[in-house]
Amino acid sequence: MNKRLSITLLTAPAMIVLLGVFILPMLLMLMLSFQDENQAFTLQNYTLFVQDSFYVEILWRTIRVSLWTVLATLLLGFPVAMYMAQATGKMRGIVTMLILAPHLISVVIRNFGWVVVLGEKGWINEMLMKLGLIEQPLRLLYNELGVVIGLTDSFIAYMVLAIATSLYAIDPSLSKAASILGASRIRTFFTVTLPLCLPGIIAGTTLVFSLSMSAFVTPALMGGTSVKVMPVIAYEQIMATLNWPLGAALAFLLLGSTILLVTLYTKLIETKRYKEVFAS
Amino acid sequence: MEVTKVIDVELRGIMKKFQNNVVVQDFNLQVEQGEFISFLGPSGCGKTTTLNMIAGFLDPDGGDLLIKGQRMNGVPPYKRELGMVFQTYSLFPHMTVAENIAYGLKLRKIGKQEMQDRVKRVLELVKLPNVADRYPKQLSGGQRQRIAIARALVIEPSLLLLDEPLSNLDAKLREELRDELKRLHQEIGVTTIFVTHDQEEALALSDRIVVLNHGFVEQIGTPLEIYNQPASEFVHTFIGKTNRMEGEVIAIDGDTLTLRTTGGLLVQATGQQRAFALQQKVVIFVRPEKIKLSDAADTAQPNRVKGHLQLASFLGSYTECEVATGAHTLSVKVQMSDKSAEQEAGKTVYCQWNAEDVLVMPVERG
Repeated sequence: MNKRLSITLLTAPAMIVLLGVFILPMLLMLMLSFQDENQAFTLQNYTLFVQDSFYVEILWRTIRVSLWTVLATLLLGFPVAMYMAQATGKMRGIVTMLILAPHLISVVIRNFGWVVVLGEKGWINEMLMKLGLIEQPLRLLYNELGVVIGLTDSFIAYMVLAIATSLYAIDPSLSKAASILGASRIRTFFTVTLPLCLPGIIAGTTLVFSLSMSAFVTPALMGGTSVKVMPVIAYEQIMATLNWPLGAALAFLLLGSTILLVTLYTKLIETKRYKEVFAS
Repeated sequence: MEVTKVIDVELRGIMKKFQNNVVVQDFNLQVEQGEFISFLGPSGCGKTTTLNMIAGFLDPDGGDLLIKGQRMNGVPPYKRELGMVFQTYSLFPHMTVAENIAYGLKLRKIGKQEMQDRVKRVLELVKLPNVADRYPKQLSGGQRQRIAIARALVIEPSLLLLDEPLSNLDAKLREELRDELKRLHQEIGVTTIFVTHDQEEALALSDRIVVLNHGFVEQIGTPLEIYNQPASEFVHTFIGKTNRMEGEVIAIDGDTLTLRTTGGLLVQATGQQRAFALQQKVVIFVRPEKIKLSDAADTAQPNRVKGHLQLASFLGSYTECEVATGAHTLSVKVQMSDKSAEQEAGKTVYCQWNAEDVLVMPVERG
């Protein structure tokens, strides 16, 4: 038996599990989404989505919240990744641990923690009011801002680690070379560091975007009833309204939009030059 | 007629420490315009640290650094107008060769036409006129280093810094690029500081060499001075293979010293730089290439010793031999042009050398 074949065979157990618990249920759900209450074939679950601006607005909100989360994690995460890239091995380990540590706690508990911090009587509002900076408490929860804060907290680790990994791969003498050729630090960042960590940025942004699009717990807890997103209404259709076909259709619409947007995005960024530079 | 020298770089008592560890101490140097100067020493001798201070990546903890007469302490690298070539090539992987070279020109807001002309000219200078549109990873190591040199030269720097630019290349390419560097320097005449741990590179390229050891300058001199009149035992041993014997002065007759080694061998030495006293403890050096091997003793030659040829390694242009002479084992280099080059281990030979080829130094304290 050749080596490649035997390695392929080693993946068989994982493949069988994936087939049974992931691909088969997905196919069943896909079939379900094309059925009416009498189990006859119909497109009504999908046409309903296009006709009813309520659903379109929810999809748009899901995308909007995800994009804000991507932006927030990118802007907050980049400096952390830069810090890690220039730190010594020991410090790198400590920062990686600090970034991953919150993930040891259930996301439900972490989100409730945010409710305590951000609520009308939470300590942020209390402090700002005591300082006399505001008169009315700020609305930091149960709106899109609250959801973005929660999602940013949940997913920033992925962004930091993806960017840090690509920063590690950059030869430190490149910024020295840029500097001696006359580039200031800011110039060096935009002409050398940033273009060279593009693979990390693409990985981080697509990861955080996909995770935000499909996030359920955080929008449910921190968005409340007023900021519903696609996973939340799909859940409601299935668990509360018991309209499984519509719930399944909503889930596939979400999946389809995510794949479409991510594909468009990577096609747009991965130009001919990008492929030539970063192809292994 | 007195010609006034133009000093391009001046180091005045430069000192650098990392935490409490002094890595460069009291470094004084004047580099003349157009000079090719090498910093030579083993790793950790402070040569790269000094280069980084000249480049501006590190700031000296003491002393003054002047480039073209201007004090440069605290001036960031991007304001120094220098060219630098790194050991790892350091080409920007996301830019083509032409873009890499144009990088420094763009920052200087050079017009498009002139930029293209200068990129083209410098590519011809490094003999790679057809690679402008390639990416660095599509080039070989030697080509990359040529492009790195082109990128450093195109901005017409006041000073070219070379940080071990040849050490990542294999032996043949290294020699080729070494000659290339020499040709470029003769053609352009840019003041150059070259950091290396390879004494051959330093000897071949430099107008002057600064030999460094443990952060101290051991000697500054031309390659010939460094080779023939080493200021210290370190310089002599670092610059090439040598035979070292300890002994004392037993007779002084005008210019001629007679020495007796600890092994009882009598050695005559003439033309020494230093003065010695009778009974002074000394170290005696003879380079392997200065010793001749023969089957019969030449009685006119006072410096001769009979020995057993233990080892003969044929290395192409010469044969490296090891001769056991009782108290001392001597290393001997026999050139191929010599008829006696074909040496076979196991036979009895005579090692003979001239009195003027012996270097005598006082025993260093500590």
